[in-house]
Amino acid sequence: MSGLNELIHQSVRLRIMAALTVLDPGKEVDFAYLRGLLEVTDGNLGAHLRKLEDAGYIAVSKTFVERKPRTFVAATVAGRHVFKAHTEALKAILKQGRPK
Amino acid sequence: MHITTHEAQESLAAIDAMMQKMRRSAAEGGTHYFLILWGVIWFFGFLGSHFFSGKIAGYIWMGLDILGGFSSWLIGKAMRRRVRHAGNKITNRRVALFWLTLFLYCMLTVWIAGPVDSKKLAMYIVLFAMIGWVAMGFLLSLSIVRLALLITLVALAGYFLLPGYFFLWMALLGSGTMIGCGFFIRFRWPSS
Repeated sequence: MSGLNELIHQSVRLRIMAALTVLDPGKEVDFAYLRGLLEVTDGNLGAHLRKLEDAGYIAVSKTFVERKPRTFVAATVAGRHVFKAHTEALKAILKQGRPK
Repeated sequence: MHITTHEAQESLAAIDAMMQKMRRSAAEGGTHYFLILWGVIWFFGFLGSHFFSGKIAGYIWMGLDILGGFSSWLIGKAMRRRVRHAGNKITNRRVALFWLTLFLYCMLTVWIAGPVDSKKLAMYIVLFAMIGWVAMGFLLSLSIVRLALLITLVALAGYFLLPGYFFLWMALLGSGTMIGCGFFIRFRWPSS
């Protein structure tokens, strides 16, 4: 099925993309806040974010806020497109599977 | 890549749940902290108004308002760290200016309407605070508008139906509604 993306389909990465794409473009989410929303560990989230960043689906920016290191994450334009195509492909599978 | 209908359904459900969680969390933006904080402040402030003379009650309110203002600033600061975007700073500054302007208008109204007794003064402040909440609600989430209208109704009911016990009414029911709504948002909504 075209549009399906193996990298995004993994459950944690799917939820990461869902959380990030629901925000307006240009908005970034704090790493700790995202971890709390997803209910995953630091290491787990970090590993999944790296994979998504390597694919160019998300952008990770590290900065200092009041002298403390902070990590912010945002979906890229490419990430938004891929995620949209993935969800549309999932919907198409559901539609095809329904009895006529 | 092959996905069964069942898998597709599960994935779409997970996406939908996550999107809702994020939307609610972003819209709520720590509202429950403000509701619980100001509910507690109202509780002690109105209890002070009920049991002490005007001057002592005034000092209690002054202390509580300073504490509330400082705590609100700290909460706001912590909330701003969750999601950021280029327009954040401007929006936050405008929100702060809005509350300051509303406070000044409230003081002007009280001054022009004066002299007013402590009950009327309290009602004016409650009404102005609720105008602020309604405005914030239209900006952030309609649920906040409903909360503000509910608190306004509770305050008006106490003011007109039990004028002799208005402060006690506000301490118990006014602040109780705020604290209750704060906990309702915290635990009913899936994330904060």
